[in-house]
Amino acid sequence: MASKQNQEESKRSVFLKSLFCGAAGAFIWGIISSIAYFFSFSEVSHGSFILRSFFSGSWTEGITGELISLAIITVLGVLPALVYYLLMKNLHGVMPGIMFGIGLWVLVFIIMNPMFYYVPTFYDLSSDTIVTTICQFVLYGVFVGYTISYEHHDRRIVANHPQKEA
Amino acid sequence: MKPDKERKLSKSLVDNREFIKELLGIGVSFDADVRTLRILDTEVDIYFVNGLNDKDHINIVMKELLELNDFEPRTKNVHELIENRLVNNQVEKVDVTYDAITEILSGLIIVIVDGYQEAFAVDTRNYPGRTPTEPDTEKVVRGSRDGYTENIIVNTGLTRRRVRDDNLRFEMLRVGERSRTDVAIAYLKDVVDPGLVGEVRENLKKIDVDGLSMAEKSLEEFVVNQKGNPFPLVRFTERPDVASAHLFEGHVLIMVDTSPSVIITPTTFFHHVQHAEEFRQSPIVGSFVRWVRFFAILFSIFLLPLWLLFVLHPELLPPEMSYIGPNEEGNIPILVQLILADIGVEFLRIAAIHTPTAVSTAMGLVAAILIGEIAIEVGLFSPEIILYVAISAMGAYATPSYELSVANKLARLILVIITAILGVKGLVIGFTLYILYLTKTISLNTPYFWPVIPFNAKALYHILFRVPIPLHKVRPSIVHPQDERRR
Repeated sequence: MASKQNQEESKRSVFLKSLFCGAAGAFIWGIISSIAYFFSFSEVSHGSFILRSFFSGSWTEGITGELISLAIITVLGVLPALVYYLLMKNLHGVMPGIMFGIGLWVLVFIIMNPMFYYVPTFYDLSSDTIVTTICQFVLYGVFVGYTISYEHHDRRIVANHPQKEA
Repeated sequence: MKPDKERKLSKSLVDNREFIKELLGIGVSFDADVRTLRILDTEVDIYFVNGLNDKDHINIVMKELLELNDFEPRTKNVHELIENRLVNNQVEKVDVTYDAITEILSGLIIVIVDGYQEAFAVDTRNYPGRTPTEPDTEKVVRGSRDGYTENIIVNTGLTRRRVRDDNLRFEMLRVGERSRTDVAIAYLKDVVDPGLVGEVRENLKKIDVDGLSMAEKSLEEFVVNQKGNPFPLVRFTERPDVASAHLFEGHVLIMVDTSPSVIITPTTFFHHVQHAEEFRQSPIVGSFVRWVRFFAILFSIFLLPLWLLFVLHPELLPPEMSYIGPNEEGNIPILVQLILADIGVEFLRIAAIHTPTAVSTAMGLVAAILIGEIAIEVGLFSPEIILYVAISAMGAYATPSYELSVANKLARLILVIITAILGVKGLVIGFTLYILYLTKTISLNTPYFWPVIPFNAKALYHILFRVPIPLHKVRPSIVHPQDERRR
């Protein structure tokens, strides 16, 4: 059926789509993160990591700051998608995405925490912030993970029984 | 006792008569009957159920048969002569008793000739039914006003009128041991995913049930694995134009006799938030209508829990929005007020479904003026509660799919309660679980929350914006069409 060249082509397209979905996911959940920050659900937003930890000034605070860091986080969103594509694309279902999201959260909030001057350490974060940010990362993880696995498996959900040809 | 489905008709007319009389209860049941004619010295039985067929047509058939006595020599093959003289375009031969009985009960007449095993089934059906009218739930300002009816033959006809393609297939099956309901699977042969048709066909054949009294709804629960899922896993439509639009996209339709609603599969969440009206307006206006509707649906789920959160934790509000929240708490807790008011609206909706029109004016008056106004004056509700409950109720009514609006209502109630208990965490966790639940839902091997998760940029664009029809160049990938290009 599909020749080798076709397979190569579809592989490349899945790869590009994975990267694109990483960026799109970061964009969508970045907006949600800004909204949560605006309503004080969370003490931090992506702006706290990207801008406020490294720069000071009033421009990092308001809506301009959020928009600038939204643009940056959209580009950065490609990286987790790349990692997921390389390591976990064969897995099925929602669960791997959830795990991936939690792992990402641990990486950003605990391991890399000293890098971010503006972000409180784990013990100083309020419980609301922790829950809100974990939920954001889980949703991002599922978004990226489920999409990549769906694209990787020829856009099929592999349920308990494979579809029979009629 | 289960009937023997394999039993062949006998060559002896008397044997057959005894057997069928017993089975149909001729003589006991008044609507089933048999008429015996003598044609060319051979006895011929005609079985029928009155009420399901056209009497004039049967009389013409009988007249033609009787005329054989006057014009034909007695030596010829009676069976062949009779077959030739059955005045109808649909005559089939049957030799299995069970099939013959089913045909009789469907309104066909069965003609059995003495000495021959094969009987003739003549289609003289004429069911009581209504003519196509505009469906109540899917009205458009401008556009075709016909809708599906309770008759599957009329329905396939209405579809065929819009799809004059030789690739359109209507596969007919019978479902239900006692109801023996006709079910048709409709699809475009060269477009549809054969795996999907196979899956639907398999699921339909597997059904073991006595009757499909609620027609398409009973069937749906067999075809998709509903279990405890409140969300509608298939889309229903009563509009032939909507149905044919989905045929062109590569969907599979399931039509059930006795129901004007056609099942569209596979379905995603976002099929339930679109409406024919958008495609009747210019693209920009259609997109605008769609966006307003999206906000309405979002409000119907998240407005109440969000507002409750701000009432319980006013410190979350940015200073410029601090006017939100009731000025005085009222006499009972906000959560109880909220749930009471929400359930009150639900009372109204449920009551409105089965209240006769003559009484419904009185009902509206009582509900709106007495309960709404007086409840505030007495001090039961604070006015703000009424405002937000009303907005979210209107949001639910603006949801095109009635089933989805009810499912969302359930989600809202759960969100309100969990927010009241856990505050910010409750709302955030509830929101996450809502999305994850939609993502996890699978309908006929189709991810329910597509194209958001799994993400598909082009398809999402088509959902966010009503794209002009000339730009609809490819079919949505979700149906796995054999031919991606529309042609």
